[in-house]
Amino acid sequence: MNLSPRENWRIYLLLVLLLVSTVAVFVPLGGADTDDSQTNLEYGLELSGGTRVRAPLVGMTAEVELEGASARDIESSVASQLNRSRTDVQVREVRDGQDTVELFANEANGNITQADFAAALQTSGLDATTDDVRPGVTEATRQTAVNVLDSKINSVGLSGGTVSTTRTPTGETFILVEVPNANRSEVLRLITSRGQVELVAHFPQQGGNETTYRNVGLLTQEDFANQNFQAAQAEGNQPARVPVSLRQDPAQNFSDAMQSFGFTDEGIGSCGYRPESGEDPDTYPGYCLYTVRDGEVVYGASMSPGLARTIRSGDFVKDPAFVITANNFSEAQQLAIDLQAGALPTTLDIEGQGTTYFLEPSLANEFKLFSLITALVAVFAVAGMVFLRYREPGVAAPMVLTAGAEVFLLLGFASAVGLALDLSHIAGFIAVIGTGVDDLIIIADEILQSGEVNTSRVFESRFRKAFWVIGAAAATTIIAMSPLAVLSLGDLQGFAIITIVGVLLGVLVTRPAYGDILRTLVLDDV
Amino acid sequence: MAEADATGKLPFDLPDVDYEQYTNRQLIVVPLVVLVIALAVIGAFFAVTGSPVRPGLAFTGGTELQLTAADSAAAIESTFQSEGFDVESVQPIRTQSDGYIVTFQSTDTDGIQQAAEGAGYDVDSIQGRSASFGAQSQSQALLGVGVAFAGMAVLVFALFRTFVPSIAVVVSAFSDIVIPLALMNVFGMELTLGTVAALLMLIGYSVDSDLLLNNHILRRSGGFYESTYRAMRTGVTMTLTSIAAMTVMSVVAFLLGIPLLPAVGTVLVFGLVADLMNTYLMNVTLLRYYKYEGVAK
Repeated sequence: MNLSPRENWRIYLLLVLLLVSTVAVFVPLGGADTDDSQTNLEYGLELSGGTRVRAPLVGMTAEVELEGASARDIESSVASQLNRSRTDVQVREVRDGQDTVELFANEANGNITQADFAAALQTSGLDATTDDVRPGVTEATRQTAVNVLDSKINSVGLSGGTVSTTRTPTGETFILVEVPNANRSEVLRLITSRGQVELVAHFPQQGGNETTYRNVGLLTQEDFANQNFQAAQAEGNQPARVPVSLRQDPAQNFSDAMQSFGFTDEGIGSCGYRPESGEDPDTYPGYCLYTVRDGEVVYGASMSPGLARTIRSGDFVKDPAFVITANNFSEAQQLAIDLQAGALPTTLDIEGQGTTYFLEPSLANEFKLFSLITALVAVFAVAGMVFLRYREPGVAAPMVLTAGAEVFLLLGFASAVGLALDLSHIAGFIAVIGTGVDDLIIIADEILQSGEVNTSRVFESRFRKAFWVIGAAAATTIIAMSPLAVLSLGDLQGFAIITIVGVLLGVLVTRPAYGDILRTLVLDDV
Repeated sequence: MAEADATGKLPFDLPDVDYEQYTNRQLIVVPLVVLVIALAVIGAFFAVTGSPVRPGLAFTGGTELQLTAADSAAAIESTFQSEGFDVESVQPIRTQSDGYIVTFQSTDTDGIQQAAEGAGYDVDSIQGRSASFGAQSQSQALLGVGVAFAGMAVLVFALFRTFVPSIAVVVSAFSDIVIPLALMNVFGMELTLGTVAALLMLIGYSVDSDLLLNNHILRRSGGFYESTYRAMRTGVTMTLTSIAAMTVMSVVAFLLGIPLLPAVGTVLVFGLVADLMNTYLMNVTLLRYYKYEGVAK
């Protein structure tokens, strides 16, 4: 037996890589390996169960030159012309770059066309035509959305959830939310609403001989000092609530507004509004502090005598502790999540252009076992055919082992790069075994064909001939698969990546190594 | 190593094909007729439904629900009907007692889930795709198959740099994709992401054996029939091994109730069988024409 590393380096390379794969798959690599499995393999939703939502963000973007115009003015002007809330318009001034105005609505969500938006921009004094408006939002908005969604998912303790963006070749970007072990409605409840929390002062104002009511937005998410927001249960005459603390400037504004609107005198204790009564919060008689979530009044709070006193004395500004009130504890929890995570800049268009997927985890676990069985049976089928053809264990056994080694290297690759395995990857593994064995058959037939192989030189020449076909076939497979690897067709991307990597590993490592194994056997025979 | 060298025998004791007995026309007529029939099936399907093959949920939008319920399939259908959701199909799951897969054209995935839970069904899996996302996926899938095919064709022409052998490979690969598509129509299979992957995989598998044949005939010494015979011995083993693996995979995955894999396997088996015919009837004939008549001119 010739074991010289110089002539058999391909076999040694294969052995080294197999060793590396073993480390990648089995050796615990410190860190947070919380699951109870014995391997480092990660599984996608189709093999672990959970929920996946893929949808674009609602909105359109105009590329304009601001030329010194005030962002605040444009935002409120555009919003009022289109009859939207000011939070639906976002002006971004980019130094040395393209300024943009985004509108978080479109034709399907809010019935505003690109032409409407362009007209509103023009009326606001910007030079914009319909051609400057494109569907979709800016990268900065997407990044904010990803961060907010991420912290929303983490704040309710759904571990292992990921939020990312995927891009289609047609230029559309989708937000992808994947949460293992969570059910669909749970995830949707968390991510479908924007979660904008606002505190609005509602109070009467005398004008002539008529009393009108004014609503003034006082506090938004950004006005609260960063902290850990926790909901508190209702107790005594205190409703369910989220204790918060105001920043310095908003606290001063709030204190001034409360005093000038009359909350701290005649307005004390005069709000009896209950959202479930169905009354119109805009005309409700009394002084109310409305908790508004996504434009809807969820609670009306009265000014308490105690808070009124600290505001009047000026102590409030020194220690601006405040509570956001809610109807019940679960609403308070929702508010706490919204405050913690921040508001989504815009909504996800799940109904219109999105997809959702949910798989029961117990079913997913069955798939995991069953697909392993399927793959093993497929390998046995290949082994059976190969033995039937060659009737020579010396040729057939290394063939099956080599094909198996290819899959093992792929598993090592998946572990090393943290690729989450799904059913499509399993299909890819099986495809790799298929092409792998095909190539090994080509090598075996070429080398074992008529005429004795009695020198290394003859062997090398035959091996090179076999390799021409193998290399050409591998190149075609890679070309055929590469569109799938870039297109965002979801499931198929994994299939394509595994097939391409598998073919590369096969052509560069395992199939040449099989050639060396055969040579050792053939030359020994002579 | 004598066994593998035994001459005059195709693997698996297959009978030998004596190409010399048949004219080019006789040989090529079979694959051409099959290709024409396949195109006719697809054309007829297109004329009736407006698409060459029935698109699945991934391409049309809709909702697919897997549930466990003590009800019968008919009772499940009427439950959803009474909630205002038109059921497209209800399929019992073989391996799971009381398990069903229910599909809807409706994209109101929320409403369907609530209706199912309201009726006391256990929702094991649910997926919804909006119609516009589906339409987009469809154009992307078509684009993907088109680009893959064009890429393959360019590569093949670059490898051989002669017209007839190159076009033989390309036509054979085309037929290997068209025949499974027609068979999908015949067997009522839907075009899913899995079957698109299988069709792309077929480009790779198909070219494998064609390249081998071209390589043996054009780039090696030896007579035409001897070269063909050698290429066949290797190529038939390759294709039959793949067919065996894919058949086994489809059957086992189907029996175990794993989604995706049975459809992938079935389409590959269709295509590989078509490839045997196309490679060793059409491709061989085109090469023989090229060797004896095309070059002689």
